[in-house]
Amino acid sequence: MSPIKHKTIRMIKDKIFLFIVGALTLLAILPLFHIIISIIEKGLPIVLERGLTFITGTLSEGGIGPAIVGTLMLTALATIIGLPLAFLAGAYAYEFPNSFIGRATKMLLQIMLEFPTILVGTFVMGILVIPMGTFSALAGALALALILTPYVAVYTEEAMAEIPRIYKEGGYALGCTRAQVIFKVITKMAKKGILTGILIGMAKVAGETAPLLFTAGGLYEVYPTNPLEPVGAIPLLIYTLVQSPSIEDHQIAWGASLIMLIIFLAIFIPIRYSLKDDIKL
Amino acid sequence: MTKIKMETKNLNLWYGEKQALFDINLPIYEKKITALIGPSGCGKSTFLRCLNRLNDLIPNVRIEGEVLLDGKNIYDKDVDVYELRKRVGMVFQKPNPFAMSIYDNVAFGPRIHGIKDKKELDKIVEWALKKAALWDEVKDELHKNALSLSGGQQQRLCIARAIAVKPEVLLMDEPTSALDPISTLKIEELMVELAKDYTIVVVTHNMQQASRVSDYTAFFLMGKLIEFGETEQIFLNPQKKETDDYISGRFG
Repeated sequence: MSPIKHKTIRMIKDKIFLFIVGALTLLAILPLFHIIISIIEKGLPIVLERGLTFITGTLSEGGIGPAIVGTLMLTALATIIGLPLAFLAGAYAYEFPNSFIGRATKMLLQIMLEFPTILVGTFVMGILVIPMGTFSALAGALALALILTPYVAVYTEEAMAEIPRIYKEGGYALGCTRAQVIFKVITKMAKKGILTGILIGMAKVAGETAPLLFTAGGLYEVYPTNPLEPVGAIPLLIYTLVQSPSIEDHQIAWGASLIMLIIFLAIFIPIRYSLKDDIKL
Repeated sequence: MTKIKMETKNLNLWYGEKQALFDINLPIYEKKITALIGPSGCGKSTFLRCLNRLNDLIPNVRIEGEVLLDGKNIYDKDVDVYELRKRVGMVFQKPNPFAMSIYDNVAFGPRIHGIKDKKELDKIVEWALKKAALWDEVKDELHKNALSLSGGQQQRLCIARAIAVKPEVLLMDEPTSALDPISTLKIEELMVELAKDYTIVVVTHNMQQASRVSDYTAFFLMGKLIEFGETEQIFLNPQKKETDDYISGRFG
Protein backbone atom coordinates (compact mmCIF):
# COMPACT_ATOMS: atom_id res chain seq x y z
CA MET A 1 0.00 0.00 0.00
CA SER A 2 1.36 3.40 -0.86
CA PRO A 3 1.98 5.75 2.04
CA ILE A 4 -0.45 8.30 0.62
CA LYS A 5 -3.27 5.79 0.35
CA HIS A 6 -2.51 4.61 3.85
CA LYS A 7 -2.77 8.16 5.10
CA THR A 8 -6.15 8.68 3.38
CA ILE A 9 -7.57 5.55 4.99
CA ARG A 10 -6.41 6.70 8.35
CA MET A 11 -8.03 10.09 7.84
CA ILE A 12 -11.31 8.50 6.81
CA LYS A 13 -11.24 6.22 9.84
CA ASP A 14 -10.62 9.25 12.01
CA LYS A 15 -13.58 11.12 10.47
CA ILE A 16 -15.90 8.13 10.96
CA PHE A 17 -14.80 7.79 14.55
CA LEU A 18 -15.41 11.48 15.25
CA PHE A 19 -18.81 11.29 13.61
CA ILE A 20 -19.88 8.31 15.72
CA VAL A 21 -18.68 9.93 18.94
CA GLY A 22 -20.47 13.15 18.04
CA ALA A 23 -23.71 11.40 17.18
CA LEU A 24 -23.71 9.34 20.38
CA THR A 25 -22.97 12.41 22.48
CA LEU A 26 -25.88 14.19 20.87
CA LEU A 27 -28.10 11.20 21.59
CA ALA A 28 -27.05 11.28 25.22
CA ILE A 29 -27.80 14.96 25.80
CA LEU A 30 -30.92 15.09 23.63
CA PRO A 31 -33.26 13.93 26.44
CA LEU A 32 -31.93 16.71 28.67
CA PHE A 33 -32.85 19.36 26.11
CA HIS A 34 -36.15 17.65 25.53
CA ILE A 35 -36.94 17.79 29.24
CA ILE A 36 -36.04 21.47 29.47
CA ILE A 37 -37.98 22.37 26.32
CA SER A 38 -41.15 20.49 27.27
CA ILE A 39 -41.11 22.01 30.75
CA ILE A 40 -40.84 25.49 29.28
CA GLU A 41 -43.39 24.75 26.55
CA LYS A 42 -46.02 23.39 28.93
CA GLY A 43 -45.16 25.31 32.06
CA LEU A 44 -44.64 28.80 30.69
CA PRO A 45 -48.24 29.42 29.46
CA ILE A 46 -49.79 28.82 32.87
CA VAL A 47 -47.14 30.82 34.71
CA LEU A 48 -47.64 33.75 32.28
CA GLU A 49 -51.42 33.45 32.39
CA ARG A 50 -51.61 33.63 36.18
CA GLY A 51 -48.64 35.92 36.62
CA LEU A 52 -47.71 36.83 40.17
CA THR A 53 -50.64 34.83 41.58
CA PHE A 54 -48.92 31.65 40.46
CA ILE A 55 -45.84 32.46 42.50
CA THR A 56 -47.53 33.93 45.57
CA GLY A 57 -51.06 32.50 45.67
CA THR A 58 -52.25 29.44 47.57
CA LEU A 59 -53.43 26.37 45.68
CA SER A 60 -57.10 27.34 45.74
CA GLU A 61 -56.17 30.81 44.47
CA GLY A 62 -54.36 29.06 41.62
CA GLY A 63 -50.79 29.44 42.89
CA ILE A 64 -47.98 27.46 44.48
CA GLY A 65 -46.66 30.10 46.90
CA PRO A 66 -46.67 27.91 50.03
CA ALA A 67 -44.86 25.13 48.15
CA ILE A 68 -42.12 27.52 47.02
CA VAL A 69 -41.66 28.84 50.55
CA GLY A 70 -41.78 25.25 51.82
CA THR A 71 -39.00 24.19 49.45
CA LEU A 72 -36.84 27.16 50.43
CA MET A 73 -37.52 26.49 54.11
CA LEU A 74 -36.71 22.78 53.83
CA THR A 75 -33.53 23.44 51.85
CA ALA A 76 -32.35 26.08 54.30
CA LEU A 77 -33.12 23.94 57.35
CA ALA A 78 -31.49 20.89 55.79
CA THR A 79 -28.36 22.93 55.07
CA ILE A 80 -28.24 24.30 58.61
CA ILE A 81 -28.56 20.79 60.06
CA GLY A 82 -26.31 19.00 57.59
CA LEU A 83 -23.54 21.47 56.82
CA PRO A 84 -21.56 21.49 60.09
CA LEU A 85 -21.63 17.70 60.37
CA ALA A 86 -20.77 17.23 56.73
CA PHE A 87 -17.88 19.67 56.84
CA LEU A 88 -16.39 18.05 59.93
CA ALA A 89 -16.84 14.54 58.50
CA GLY A 90 -15.12 15.62 55.27
CA ALA A 91 -12.27 17.28 57.17
CA TYR A 92 -11.87 14.14 59.28
CA ALA A 93 -11.73 11.85 56.25
CA TYR A 94 -9.14 14.20 54.74
CA GLU A 95 -6.91 14.43 57.80
CA PHE A 96 -6.97 10.75 58.75
CA PRO A 97 -7.08 8.93 55.40
CA ASN A 98 -5.17 5.92 56.72
CA SER A 99 -6.86 5.42 60.06
CA PHE A 100 -9.65 2.87 60.45
CA ILE A 101 -12.28 5.49 61.32
CA GLY A 102 -11.10 7.75 58.49
CA ARG A 103 -11.42 4.98 55.91
CA ALA A 104 -14.75 3.86 57.35
CA THR A 105 -16.03 7.44 57.23
CA LYS A 106 -15.07 7.79 53.60
CA MET A 107 -16.65 4.48 52.65
CA LEU A 108 -19.87 5.25 54.53
CA LEU A 109 -20.10 8.64 52.84
CA GLN A 110 -19.73 6.99 49.42
CA ILE A 111 -22.52 4.55 50.33
CA MET A 112 -24.74 7.35 51.65
CA LEU A 113 -24.22 9.18 48.36
CA GLU A 114 -25.94 6.36 46.49
CA PHE A 115 -28.39 5.38 49.22
CA PRO A 116 -32.03 5.02 48.10
CA THR A 117 -33.54 8.26 49.28
CA ILE A 118 -36.93 6.77 50.11
CA LEU A 119 -35.26 4.69 52.80
CA VAL A 120 -34.01 7.90 54.38
CA GLY A 121 -37.64 9.04 54.41
CA THR A 122 -38.88 5.90 56.16
CA PHE A 123 -36.01 6.12 58.65
CA VAL A 124 -36.88 9.68 59.64
CA MET A 125 -40.55 8.75 59.81
CA GLY A 126 -39.58 6.10 62.33
CA ILE A 127 -37.39 8.27 64.53
CA LEU A 128 -39.19 11.62 64.31
CA VAL A 129 -42.63 11.62 62.69
CA ILE A 130 -44.12 8.74 64.71
CA PRO A 131 -42.81 9.95 68.11
CA MET A 132 -43.94 13.52 67.36
CA GLY A 133 -47.27 12.30 66.07
CA THR A 134 -47.16 14.70 63.12
CA PHE A 135 -45.43 15.40 59.85
CA SER A 136 -43.21 18.44 60.12
CA ALA A 137 -40.76 20.69 58.31
CA LEU A 138 -38.17 19.53 60.82
CA ALA A 139 -38.64 15.87 59.85
CA GLY A 140 -38.49 16.74 56.14
CA ALA A 141 -35.38 18.83 56.68
CA LEU A 142 -33.70 16.06 58.67
CA ALA A 143 -34.33 13.59 55.87
CA LEU A 144 -32.92 16.07 53.34
CA ALA A 145 -29.96 16.82 55.61
CA LEU A 146 -29.05 13.13 55.55
CA ILE A 147 -29.00 13.30 51.76
CA LEU A 148 -27.08 16.58 51.65
CA THR A 149 -24.41 15.47 54.12
CA PRO A 150 -22.50 12.99 51.95
CA TYR A 151 -22.36 15.43 49.02
CA VAL A 152 -20.88 18.21 51.11
CA ALA A 153 -18.57 15.84 52.99
CA VAL A 154 -17.22 14.10 49.88
CA TYR A 155 -16.67 17.41 48.07
CA THR A 156 -14.99 18.87 51.16
CA GLU A 157 -12.66 15.90 51.44
CA GLU A 158 -11.80 15.98 47.74
CA ALA A 159 -11.29 19.74 47.62
CA MET A 160 -8.96 19.53 50.61
CA ALA A 161 -7.04 16.60 49.17
CA GLU A 162 -6.37 18.64 46.02
CA ILE A 163 -4.45 21.31 47.91
CA PRO A 164 -0.76 20.53 47.36
CA ARG A 165 1.11 19.19 50.36
CA ILE A 166 3.47 22.14 50.34
CA TYR A 167 0.73 24.46 51.69
CA LYS A 168 0.02 22.12 54.55
CA GLU A 169 3.72 21.98 55.35
CA GLY A 170 3.88 25.77 55.05
CA GLY A 171 1.30 25.98 57.82
CA TYR A 172 3.12 23.50 60.04
CA ALA A 173 6.43 25.25 59.42
CA LEU A 174 4.94 28.42 60.95
CA GLY A 175 4.07 26.55 64.12
CA CYS A 176 0.41 25.77 63.38
CA THR A 177 -1.31 22.95 65.20
CA ARG A 178 -3.12 20.28 63.21
CA ALA A 179 -6.48 21.98 63.72
CA GLN A 180 -5.09 25.36 62.69
CA VAL A 181 -3.65 23.89 59.50
CA ILE A 182 -7.00 22.34 58.58
CA PHE A 183 -9.28 25.22 59.48
CA LYS A 184 -7.09 28.23 58.71
CA VAL A 185 -4.95 27.08 55.79
CA ILE A 186 -6.57 24.15 54.01
CA THR A 187 -10.20 25.24 54.40
CA LYS A 188 -9.40 28.71 53.10
CA MET A 189 -7.60 27.34 50.08
CA ALA A 190 -10.24 24.70 49.38
CA LYS A 191 -13.20 27.01 49.89
CA LYS A 192 -14.31 27.02 46.26
CA GLY A 193 -14.47 23.23 46.10
CA ILE A 194 -16.28 23.10 49.43
CA LEU A 195 -18.74 25.78 48.31
CA THR A 196 -19.37 23.81 45.11
CA GLY A 197 -20.20 20.76 47.21
CA ILE A 198 -22.61 22.78 49.35
CA LEU A 199 -24.40 24.19 46.29
CA ILE A 200 -24.61 20.79 44.61
CA GLY A 201 -25.98 19.30 47.80
CA MET A 202 -28.55 22.10 48.08
CA ALA A 203 -29.59 21.76 44.44
CA LYS A 204 -29.96 18.03 44.95
CA VAL A 205 -32.15 18.25 48.06
CA ALA A 206 -34.26 21.12 46.71
CA GLY A 207 -35.50 18.75 44.02
CA GLU A 208 -35.96 15.63 46.16
CA THR A 209 -39.40 14.04 46.48
CA ALA A 210 -39.04 10.58 47.98
CA PRO A 211 -37.58 11.55 51.37
CA LEU A 212 -40.42 14.02 51.87
CA LEU A 213 -43.24 11.57 51.19
CA PHE A 214 -43.41 10.30 54.76
CA THR A 215 -41.95 13.27 56.55
CA ALA A 216 -43.05 16.72 55.34
CA GLY A 217 -46.78 16.11 55.02
CA GLY A 218 -47.66 18.86 52.54
CA LEU A 219 -49.17 22.31 53.03
CA TYR A 220 -50.54 24.27 50.10
CA GLU A 221 -53.40 26.45 51.36
CA VAL A 222 -51.48 28.52 53.91
CA TYR A 223 -47.85 29.59 54.19
CA PRO A 224 -45.71 27.54 56.56
CA THR A 225 -44.68 29.36 59.75
CA ASN A 226 -43.70 26.68 62.24
CA PRO A 227 -40.95 24.14 61.54
CA LEU A 228 -42.67 21.70 63.89
CA GLU A 229 -45.77 21.60 61.69
CA PRO A 230 -46.30 20.06 58.24
CA VAL A 231 -44.85 21.85 55.25
CA GLY A 232 -45.20 21.59 51.48
CA ALA A 233 -42.55 21.41 48.78
CA ILE A 234 -42.63 21.91 45.02
CA PRO A 235 -41.60 18.34 44.05
CA LEU A 236 -44.08 16.91 46.54
CA LEU A 237 -46.83 19.13 45.10
CA ILE A 238 -45.99 18.05 41.56
CA TYR A 239 -46.18 14.42 42.66
CA THR A 240 -49.61 14.99 44.22
CA LEU A 241 -51.03 17.04 41.33
CA VAL A 242 -49.94 14.60 38.62
CA GLN A 243 -52.01 11.88 40.29
CA SER A 244 -55.17 14.01 40.10
CA PRO A 245 -57.50 13.50 37.13
CA SER A 246 -58.06 17.24 36.66
CA ILE A 247 -56.48 18.91 33.62
CA GLU A 248 -56.03 22.13 35.59
CA ASP A 249 -54.02 20.30 38.23
CA HIS A 250 -51.77 18.96 35.48
CA GLN A 251 -51.23 22.48 34.19
CA ILE A 252 -50.28 23.69 37.64
CA ALA A 253 -47.89 20.75 37.91
CA TRP A 254 -46.15 21.86 34.67
CA GLY A 255 -45.95 25.41 35.97
CA ALA A 256 -44.53 24.15 39.26
CA SER A 257 -41.98 22.12 37.27
CA LEU A 258 -40.83 25.28 35.54
CA ILE A 259 -40.41 27.07 38.88
CA MET A 260 -38.52 24.02 40.18
CA LEU A 261 -36.24 24.12 37.15
CA ILE A 262 -35.57 27.82 37.66
CA ILE A 263 -34.71 27.31 41.34
CA PHE A 264 -32.45 24.40 40.41
CA LEU A 265 -30.64 26.39 37.73
CA ALA A 266 -30.36 29.39 40.04
CA ILE A 267 -28.39 27.23 42.46
CA PHE A 268 -26.45 25.40 39.76
CA ILE A 269 -25.36 28.07 37.30
CA PRO A 270 -23.23 29.99 39.81
CA ILE A 271 -21.29 26.76 40.34
CA ARG A 272 -20.33 26.69 36.68
CA TYR A 273 -19.64 30.35 36.13
CA SER A 274 -18.80 32.44 39.17
CA LEU A 275 -16.79 29.71 40.86
CA LYS A 276 -14.14 29.45 38.19
CA ASP A 277 -10.87 28.62 39.88
CA ASP A 278 -8.68 31.67 40.10
CA ILE A 279 -6.06 29.84 42.10
CA LYS A 280 -3.16 28.68 40.00
CA LEU A 281 -1.56 25.84 41.87
CA MET B 1 34.85 31.51 68.38
CA THR B 2 31.41 31.33 66.84
CA LYS B 3 28.65 29.84 68.94
CA ILE B 4 27.00 26.58 67.85
CA LYS B 5 23.25 27.22 67.47
CA MET B 6 22.16 23.74 66.39
CA GLU B 7 23.96 20.47 66.25
CA THR B 8 23.09 16.95 65.18
CA LYS B 9 24.59 13.94 66.93
CA ASN B 10 24.62 10.52 65.27
CA LEU B 11 21.43 11.35 63.39
CA ASN B 12 20.00 8.37 61.51
CA LEU B 13 16.76 8.34 59.57
CA TRP B 14 14.76 5.57 57.90
CA TYR B 15 11.87 5.74 55.45
CA GLY B 16 10.28 2.41 56.32
CA GLU B 17 13.08 -0.11 55.83
CA LYS B 18 15.26 2.17 53.76
CA GLN B 19 17.88 4.15 55.60
CA ALA B 20 18.21 7.69 54.23
CA LEU B 21 20.59 9.34 56.69
CA PHE B 22 23.65 7.72 58.29
CA ASP B 23 25.22 9.03 61.49
CA ILE B 24 25.16 12.71 60.65
CA ASN B 25 27.19 14.91 63.00
CA LEU B 26 26.96 18.50 61.92
CA PRO B 27 27.31 21.78 63.79
CA ILE B 28 25.33 24.82 62.66
CA TYR B 29 26.90 28.09 63.74
CA GLU B 30 24.89 31.03 65.01
CA LYS B 31 24.24 33.90 62.58
CA LYS B 32 26.11 32.14 59.81
CA ILE B 33 24.89 30.63 56.57
CA THR B 34 25.43 26.92 56.28
CA ALA B 35 24.95 25.46 52.80
CA LEU B 36 24.04 21.81 52.28
CA ILE B 37 25.16 20.56 48.87
CA GLY B 38 25.13 17.22 47.12
CA PRO B 39 23.49 15.37 44.24
CA SER B 40 19.71 14.73 44.15
CA GLY B 41 18.58 12.12 46.62
CA CYS B 42 21.65 12.48 48.84
CA GLY B 43 19.50 13.29 51.88
CA LYS B 44 20.17 17.00 52.24
CA SER B 45 16.49 18.02 52.16
CA THR B 46 15.60 15.13 54.46
CA PHE B 47 18.29 16.33 56.83
CA LEU B 48 16.97 19.90 56.69
CA ARG B 49 13.48 18.71 57.55
CA CYS B 50 14.81 16.97 60.65
CA LEU B 51 15.81 20.36 62.04
CA ASN B 52 12.20 21.54 62.45
CA ARG B 53 10.71 18.05 62.80
CA LEU B 54 8.74 18.40 59.58
CA ASN B 55 9.51 14.75 58.89
CA ASP B 56 7.16 13.94 61.79
CA LEU B 57 4.31 14.44 59.31
CA ILE B 58 5.48 11.67 57.02
CA PRO B 59 4.26 8.19 57.93
CA ASN B 60 6.81 5.42 58.58
CA VAL B 61 9.72 7.75 59.23
CA ARG B 62 11.96 6.66 62.09
CA ILE B 63 14.66 8.89 63.52
CA GLU B 64 17.50 8.05 65.90
CA GLY B 65 20.13 10.32 67.39
CA GLU B 66 19.88 13.87 68.62
CA VAL B 67 19.24 17.29 67.17
CA LEU B 68 20.26 19.96 69.64
CA LEU B 69 18.93 23.50 69.60
CA ASP B 70 20.81 25.62 72.14
CA GLY B 71 21.95 22.36 73.69
CA LYS B 72 18.44 20.89 74.08
CA ASN B 73 17.40 17.82 72.06
CA ILE B 74 14.35 18.82 69.99
CA TYR B 75 13.23 15.18 69.79
CA ASP B 76 12.85 14.96 73.58
CA LYS B 77 9.35 14.07 74.74
CA ASP B 78 8.80 17.34 76.60
CA VAL B 79 9.47 19.52 73.53
CA ASP B 80 6.47 21.42 72.16
CA VAL B 81 6.86 20.83 68.43
CA TYR B 82 4.68 23.84 67.52
CA GLU B 83 6.83 26.11 69.68
CA LEU B 84 9.94 24.54 68.09
CA ARG B 85 8.72 25.34 64.58
CA LYS B 86 8.16 28.92 65.67
CA ARG B 87 11.84 29.08 66.63
CA VAL B 88 13.02 27.24 63.52
CA GLY B 89 11.27 28.71 60.47
CA MET B 90 11.30 27.36 56.94
CA VAL B 91 11.17 28.54 53.34
CA PHE B 92 10.30 25.96 50.71
CA GLN B 93 11.52 25.06 47.25
CA LYS B 94 8.39 26.29 45.52
CA PRO B 95 6.89 29.55 46.78
CA ASN B 96 3.80 28.57 48.77
CA PRO B 97 1.95 31.72 49.81
CA PHE B 98 -1.54 30.98 51.10
CA ALA B 99 -4.51 32.02 48.96
CA MET B 100 -5.13 35.19 50.94
CA SER B 101 -3.94 38.78 50.90
CA ILE B 102 -0.28 39.77 51.18
CA TYR B 103 -1.02 41.27 54.59
CA ASP B 104 -2.82 38.17 55.86
CA ASN B 105 0.02 35.95 54.70
CA VAL B 106 2.60 37.84 56.73
CA ALA B 107 0.24 38.29 59.68
CA PHE B 108 -0.70 34.60 59.59
CA GLY B 109 2.08 33.34 61.88
CA PRO B 110 1.81 36.13 64.47
CA ARG B 111 -1.97 35.63 64.58
CA ILE B 112 -1.57 31.88 65.08
CA HIS B 113 0.69 32.63 67.99
CA GLY B 114 -1.85 34.89 69.62
CA ILE B 115 -1.17 38.46 68.48
CA LYS B 116 -4.51 40.13 67.81
CA ASP B 117 -3.80 43.85 68.18
CA LYS B 118 -4.18 45.49 64.78
CA LYS B 119 -1.48 48.11 65.35
CA GLU B 120 1.02 45.52 66.49
CA LEU B 121 0.22 43.33 63.48
CA ASP B 122 0.62 46.32 61.14
CA LYS B 123 4.05 46.94 62.62
CA ILE B 124 5.15 43.31 62.28
CA VAL B 125 3.90 43.11 58.68
CA GLU B 126 5.75 46.26 57.68
CA TRP B 127 8.91 45.15 59.49
CA ALA B 128 8.88 41.66 57.96
CA LEU B 129 8.18 42.92 54.44
CA LYS B 130 10.99 45.47 54.76
CA LYS B 131 13.35 42.77 56.03
CA ALA B 132 12.39 40.61 53.05
CA ALA B 133 13.03 43.54 50.66
CA LEU B 134 9.47 43.42 49.39
CA TRP B 135 7.90 46.40 51.17
CA ASP B 136 8.54 48.99 48.47
CA GLU B 137 6.97 46.81 45.79
CA VAL B 138 3.79 45.93 47.69
CA LYS B 139 3.17 48.66 50.27
CA ASP B 140 0.27 50.13 48.28
CA GLU B 141 -1.44 46.82 47.63
CA LEU B 142 -1.18 44.90 50.87
CA HIS B 143 -4.72 43.64 50.47
CA LYS B 144 -4.17 42.18 47.04
CA ASN B 145 -4.19 38.39 46.75
CA ALA B 146 -0.69 37.06 47.28
CA LEU B 147 -1.07 34.69 44.34
CA SER B 148 -1.08 37.66 41.95
CA LEU B 149 2.58 38.35 42.76
CA SER B 150 5.42 37.11 40.56
CA GLY B 151 7.33 33.97 41.56
CA GLY B 152 10.28 35.92 42.97
CA GLN B 153 7.97 38.23 44.92
CA GLN B 154 6.03 35.22 46.23
CA GLN B 155 9.23 33.68 47.52
CA ARG B 156 10.24 36.91 49.26
CA LEU B 157 6.72 37.01 50.71
CA CYS B 158 7.27 33.50 52.06
CA ILE B 159 10.50 34.69 53.64
CA ALA B 160 8.63 37.64 55.18
CA ARG B 161 5.97 35.24 56.43
CA ALA B 162 8.62 33.00 57.98
CA ILE B 163 10.50 35.79 59.75
CA ALA B 164 7.29 37.47 60.97
CA VAL B 165 7.14 34.90 63.78
CA LYS B 166 10.70 35.94 64.75
CA PRO B 167 12.43 32.60 64.41
CA GLU B 168 16.01 32.08 65.53
CA VAL B 169 16.93 29.71 62.72
CA LEU B 170 15.75 29.88 59.13
CA LEU B 171 15.78 26.73 57.01
CA MET B 172 15.70 27.21 53.25
CA ASP B 173 15.06 24.26 50.97
CA GLU B 174 16.39 25.21 47.52
CA PRO B 175 14.69 28.58 47.82
CA THR B 176 15.72 29.80 44.38
CA SER B 177 15.41 26.68 42.25
CA ALA B 178 12.03 27.80 40.86
CA LEU B 179 13.13 31.39 40.22
CA ASP B 180 14.75 33.36 37.40
CA PRO B 181 18.34 34.66 37.76
CA ILE B 182 17.36 38.19 38.81
CA SER B 183 14.97 36.99 41.50
CA THR B 184 17.64 34.50 42.57
CA LEU B 185 20.15 37.28 42.99
CA LYS B 186 17.70 39.27 45.13
CA ILE B 187 17.06 36.28 47.38
CA GLU B 188 20.79 35.68 47.74
CA GLU B 189 21.41 39.29 48.74
CA LEU B 190 18.57 38.94 51.17
CA MET B 191 20.09 35.81 52.71
CA VAL B 192 23.37 37.58 53.38
CA GLU B 193 21.47 40.47 54.92
CA LEU B 194 19.32 38.17 57.07
CA ALA B 195 22.38 36.27 58.33
CA LYS B 196 23.20 39.34 60.45
CA ASP B 197 20.27 38.39 62.70
CA TYR B 198 19.46 34.79 61.91
CA THR B 199 21.12 31.44 61.66
CA ILE B 200 20.48 30.17 58.14
CA VAL B 201 20.69 26.66 56.72
CA VAL B 202 20.20 26.46 52.97
CA VAL B 203 19.90 23.44 50.72
CA THR B 204 21.08 24.21 47.22
CA HIS B 205 21.81 22.48 43.95
CA ASN B 206 23.62 25.51 42.76
CA MET B 207 27.31 25.34 43.60
CA GLN B 208 27.92 29.00 42.75
CA GLN B 209 25.15 29.93 45.12
CA ALA B 210 26.73 27.94 47.93
CA SER B 211 30.12 29.54 47.32
CA ARG B 212 28.63 33.04 46.96
CA VAL B 213 26.47 33.17 50.04
CA SER B 214 27.51 30.60 52.61
CA ASP B 215 30.03 30.69 55.44
CA TYR B 216 30.08 26.92 55.93
CA THR B 217 29.38 24.11 53.51
CA ALA B 218 28.39 20.52 54.14
CA PHE B 219 28.67 17.99 51.34
CA PHE B 220 26.24 15.05 51.42
CA LEU B 221 26.42 11.86 49.37
CA MET B 222 24.17 8.83 49.59
CA GLY B 223 22.82 9.84 52.99
CA LYS B 224 26.24 10.41 54.51
CA LEU B 225 27.97 13.64 55.45
CA ILE B 226 31.20 13.42 53.47
CA GLU B 227 32.81 16.70 54.38
CA PHE B 228 32.04 19.82 56.38
CA GLY B 229 34.07 22.98 56.70
CA GLU B 230 34.34 26.66 55.94
CA THR B 231 33.01 27.29 52.46
CA GLU B 232 36.31 28.61 51.19
CA GLN B 233 38.14 25.51 52.32
CA ILE B 234 35.52 23.16 50.85
CA PHE B 235 35.63 24.83 47.46
CA LEU B 236 39.34 25.64 47.21
CA ASN B 237 40.88 22.83 49.16
CA PRO B 238 38.53 19.88 49.62
CA GLN B 239 39.95 17.10 51.75
CA LYS B 240 37.92 14.24 50.30
CA LYS B 241 38.07 12.95 46.76
CA GLU B 242 34.25 12.74 46.48
CA THR B 243 33.90 16.41 47.42
CA ASP B 244 36.50 17.39 44.87
CA ASP B 245 34.77 15.32 42.17
CA TYR B 246 31.40 16.88 42.93
CA ILE B 247 32.39 20.53 43.15
CA SER B 248 34.57 20.31 40.09
CA GLY B 249 31.58 18.92 38.24
CA ARG B 250 32.89 15.44 37.56
CA PHE B 251 29.56 13.97 38.68
CA GLY B 252 26.21 14.92 40.18
